[in-house]
Amino acid sequence: MSEDLVKVRDLNVTFVTRDRTVHAVNGVDFDLAGGEVLCILGESGSGKSVTLRALMRLNPPARTVMAGTVVVGGHDIVGIDENRMADIRGSVVSMVFQEPMTALDPVFTIGQQICETVKRHEGVSQKDAHRRALDLLDLVQIPSAERRLAAYPHELSGGLRQRAMIAIALSCRPKLLLADEPTTALDATVQIQILLLLRRLQQEMGMGVIFVTHDLGVAGEIADRIAVMYGGKFVEEGPVREVMRTALHPYTQGLLGATVHSGMRGRRLTTIRGAPPNLENLPTGCAFAPRCDVATDACLVAVPALRGDPDHRARCILVAAGKEETPCCSI
Amino acid sequence: MSAALERMPDVGGPAQPLLLVRGLQKHFGRPAGLFRKAGAVVRAVDGVDFEVRKGETLGIVGESGCGKSTTSRLIMALIEPTAGDVIFDGELVGSAELPLREYRRQVQMVFQDSFASLNPRLTIGESIGFAPRVHGLAADATRSRVRDLLDAVGLAPDQFANRYPHELSGGQRQRVNIARALALRPRLVILDEPVSALDKSVEAQVLNLLVDVKEQFDLSFLFISHDLNVVQFIADRVLVMYLGEVVEIGPVEQIYDHPAHPYTAALLASRPSMDPDLRRTEPPLLGDPPNPVNPPPGCRFHPRCALAEPVCSAKHPRLAPVTAEHEAACLIALPGSGHSRAAS
Repeated sequence: MSEDLVKVRDLNVTFVTRDRTVHAVNGVDFDLAGGEVLCILGESGSGKSVTLRALMRLNPPARTVMAGTVVVGGHDIVGIDENRMADIRGSVVSMVFQEPMTALDPVFTIGQQICETVKRHEGVSQKDAHRRALDLLDLVQIPSAERRLAAYPHELSGGLRQRAMIAIALSCRPKLLLADEPTTALDATVQIQILLLLRRLQQEMGMGVIFVTHDLGVAGEIADRIAVMYGGKFVEEGPVREVMRTALHPYTQGLLGATVHSGMRGRRLTTIRGAPPNLENLPTGCAFAPRCDVATDACLVAVPALRGDPDHRARCILVAAGKEETPCCSI
Repeated sequence: MSAALERMPDVGGPAQPLLLVRGLQKHFGRPAGLFRKAGAVVRAVDGVDFEVRKGETLGIVGESGCGKSTTSRLIMALIEPTAGDVIFDGELVGSAELPLREYRRQVQMVFQDSFASLNPRLTIGESIGFAPRVHGLAADATRSRVRDLLDAVGLAPDQFANRYPHELSGGQRQRVNIARALALRPRLVILDEPVSALDKSVEAQVLNLLVDVKEQFDLSFLFISHDLNVVQFIADRVLVMYLGEVVEIGPVEQIYDHPAHPYTAALLASRPSMDPDLRRTEPPLLGDPPNPVNPPPGCRFHPRCALAEPVCSAKHPRLAPVTAEHEAACLIALPGSGHSRAAS
């Protein structure tokens, strides 16, 4: 499919330091069409944020080894030189981070930070950039925009700061928006506001969005497709309804059972025993096998391929192979 | 003080609340100095009354800045209240009948950040045994108590007692914190966001553990969380706070099925639906929780409330009964308040 906005093939990201080597991402393949919202769901240490950062090449350059193919909007992200990468960041792909207080620069006003981005990429005058900044604050529903442009990040509430960061990310109309747990640090009533805002902007601007979260409920509110990550691999991928209703992988099923929601009072929560794997020393077989209740000896031999329907697949030998076996991906 | 360091006896019988909080206030402010005016006063907790009954779990929910963590620190006597009393099983905390040292044996706390709340230089065993030693338990009795506690929280004593906090995962560290909180045989345990920093699969393990130890050690819990689903799972009664005040309190089923305060209703409606076909289209509330420096006059929630009327900015609602066990601080729930939806 040539119209795909994002094409990732066999992405591997390894962090190498003198004492150790951490295999954070171990062979991730996926495509994202323009205008599609993919949620990458996983626990801490599953490699979800590293995957996201790899799409913008934001992992620390000195100790990151990145292999595989990453193409975003026709640009080869792995091979491109740093100057071209700086052009792409912000204009083709941009990111919203979890903690707006640390992602925004505390010594510049919101207005200066938006104008800087617009002027860098589009070479417009200060006056035009200012006008654009005003429009952007309206777009992300920040009231009294003129006054807020002159505000420093610490003068805004958490919700407004996250809106300001979204405004910066959208300032050059990127084709792809990456969001790394953008609502995790927010209160419940503000979280739903930001989720609805992102969904509306995504639809209006027709962007592709990759959204990283550990919260199934958040994924259910915003995703078209869900990819579940474990031990640096996608272990399940499919449309949001199917993944949430008929999860294939035992890990996804466990996550669904362990997520507390109404109607579970007085019952014992189903848990996943043990803890996530050590990324320095991954097992040869299925990374989830040591915690899996239905694991057999066959699970320990080799990492299972993604099996099932091309549209809804899981990396588990218990999943019936679909019409076409797809060991890698459906290109 | 008994050398065996056993649980303190029940004083007032089952009907007397274990913990009674009366008119509790905490205002943080910067007093005037030689070269500066007095700073703005943050009314973090502003007149809170409630009780924790023997054997129950009381959940406290609210957004950041509502005063729920300050309330827990006031109850633990970690900070001095501006006004108000904390009464434990009929005795005033800090009085001659119940000095702080005796009180703190009976009330223990588990914090959100499992790493920051453990001393990195002490082994797990030393951390758990620290308070019993301070309270005069003999060394060998402490050792066997530590082993029993590690067993009770599901950590093999031989494997874990001699390890350091950094060698443990977040879930294991939180188990250690729970064991440490139980070491003095307390009667009340305050849990301040105990599972918020954990991954979902580990969160469920720790919640199951909390249900088990409550039963095994005959505890009462004060459970603070911003996660309404977790509170619904674990609490018997729920207290909802907004800007330093209690806006609603009652049994968990009544609060979740029939919230009487518009803020509670909006909080509940803000939860993700867990069903892609039932996605929200409009946010239940606009704006952020306001700053507790300058709370709005009248009902503190009225600027964000969809049902607010002019009377709401003039009249400050007190907690009023909705049913026998359920109270809400909303003019709508108060007959004759002047709100058009209130009973006259």
